[in-house]
Amino acid sequence: MDLFLGIDVGSVSTNLVVIDPEGEMYLSPLYLRTQGQPIKAVQQGLSLLNERLTKKDRICGVGTTGSARALAGVLVGADLVKNEITSHAVAALHAVPGVQTVLEIGGQDSKIIIIKDGIVVDFAMNTVCAAGTGSFLDQQASRLNLSIEDFGDIALRATNPVRIAGRCTVFAESDMIHKQQMGYSLPDIVAGLCEALVRNYLNNIGKGLEIRPPVVFQGGVAANAGMREAFKKALQTEIIVPQHFDVMGAYGVALLARDHILEHGEKTQFRGFGVTNQQFQNSSFICQGCPNACEVIEIKQDESLLARWGDRCGRWTASKAETSA
Amino acid sequence: MIRIKKIGIPRALLYYYYYPLWYEFFTRLGCEVVLSPETNKAILDQGIKSTLSEVCLPVKVYFGHVAYLAGRVDYLFVPRITRVEAKEYICPKFMGIPDMLKARINKLPPLIDTTVDAGKEGNPVQCWVDCLRDAGNSLTADRKLIEDALEAALQAQQFFWKRLNSGLMLPDAIKGIAIPEIPVNSSSKPLRIGLIGHPYNVYDPFISMNLIKKLQQLGAVVVTPESLQADEIEKEAASLPKRMFWTLGKRMVGSAFRFFSSQKLDGVIYLTSFGCGPEALVEELVARTAKHQNMPLMMLTIDEHTGEAGINTRLEAFTEMIVWRLKYANHIPPYGESVHCR
Repeated sequence: MDLFLGIDVGSVSTNLVVIDPEGEMYLSPLYLRTQGQPIKAVQQGLSLLNERLTKKDRICGVGTTGSARALAGVLVGADLVKNEITSHAVAALHAVPGVQTVLEIGGQDSKIIIIKDGIVVDFAMNTVCAAGTGSFLDQQASRLNLSIEDFGDIALRATNPVRIAGRCTVFAESDMIHKQQMGYSLPDIVAGLCEALVRNYLNNIGKGLEIRPPVVFQGGVAANAGMREAFKKALQTEIIVPQHFDVMGAYGVALLARDHILEHGEKTQFRGFGVTNQQFQNSSFICQGCPNACEVIEIKQDESLLARWGDRCGRWTASKAETSA
Repeated sequence: MIRIKKIGIPRALLYYYYYPLWYEFFTRLGCEVVLSPETNKAILDQGIKSTLSEVCLPVKVYFGHVAYLAGRVDYLFVPRITRVEAKEYICPKFMGIPDMLKARINKLPPLIDTTVDAGKEGNPVQCWVDCLRDAGNSLTADRKLIEDALEAALQAQQFFWKRLNSGLMLPDAIKGIAIPEIPVNSSSKPLRIGLIGHPYNVYDPFISMNLIKKLQQLGAVVVTPESLQADEIEKEAASLPKRMFWTLGKRMVGSAFRFFSSQKLDGVIYLTSFGCGPEALVEELVARTAKHQNMPLMMLTIDEHTGEAGINTRLEAFTEMIVWRLKYANHIPPYGESVHCR
């Protein structure tokens, strides 16, 4: 079977999706923790996929996205390196064709995408502040001695969610501690926290945007029933969580890679599953060329240079072949 | 032998508006103008160290440039700029800059901090004449020399403005080089992106993380407010129900409105610096109008962080969104049931 691979390497998770030419999931998607080692995560993901594919399966196109998209693109030989906004929008449109609003909350960032008649017309991402992302929920869950998986269901048991200051997560945390000490019930506090995060999200990222149904909620945090409920309450509309909500970035870029290959009739640049066994060395050095002192990142494979980036002036970047084919 | 006096000019803030004026004036007086280098990490770090956390990024950068020049010049030209147009003000942080510098940086050379104040009725040229004449008096007793230098300086500034209006990008206009060929990187029609923001952010490649170059690499032609005539901006800004009394804020609003109404642009990017007081208001006005006019607009907020990934993602997504809009606006949607069934 001719297949297309999408890889999303984010700060928290690395996801891999394989689709058939019709755009349907061919294998169940992989959701792995990046754990600060994007190269390893990609290699591990590829090796897991390789075990599941049969001899007849062929990867005909690869796309990468996520904050480590350039790095992943070099490693696997991507045909397409795309930003997360476009990837998420494409996946949402594929899963819910009439979608008008995409809420996406990931590990370190969150975004909102406004779609009209099947095209992206506006989007916003969190700015300087990372308040209200998945990492914060993770932290608070562990502070309350809850597993993040139970967090959402506990929120659903709330009868009277407490009001927690959601403007800034640092304030939210101290406010929450205060409410605990006052003796509020755990479900009410957890639900209050979800509502605070949703309020913060809508006020910051959704500021000035018209949120129209159908609303799709995706990204890792969409797994949290408490957050889904809080969005439903705040927006007064049904919140659709697509089946593959946690790998939508990878799904979207797989679709884009498929279109790219089919449209241009190109042969894939995919370097094959051998990548799994190869040794990659990543290192960095500080360029002494000028007072900017840029940190240049270097990726080598078996001592031969694959790519360099990180310099402002381009003197190092230019010294190798283009990173994104 | 008389030693030539060295006048230091920080390459920051209103340098981007008035450098030709200042350079010509001091050079004609027989001084040597020493311009600090382009902003780099060392300059920014120095600036952050010597300011209070309250100020915006461009002011921090200004401090870094002053610190760089401090040991290298005999005088520093840091005019106290309050009003350059009638009934309007420059940002209060700019007015207080000479005082902030004295309070925060040790071993400053003597400051030439003469005042620029257009007063209630004043005009944008006379206020500079007054400021520079005062500055000249502190350097020489030769009245004739000062007046001649003033005349030459005003001419240089006019020439600079003319070059900007002719469509030359500011860095080229300020250097006085010939019009460069605009690189055409593909056969397809390039996107036209309007880039609004204070020149000291937009044209400082370090602060803006090479924003202009990045956009050009994404295949866009960049248009900035500097290509607009002052009266065009004035006219657009006058459409506000209440007069905007911040000169630079008014420039932003007026340019944005002009960009929106001209219909020659495919999208607009507004670069703002975190912690800018006037901008908090102006930003909102611009955003609301953009929405009303159905113009794609993206706000980019910059601060001390040097990670470029966030900026890159946004620029890529924004330009892609526009291409997407242009390509499919009146056709079938690219994603969704109609296209993908085969």
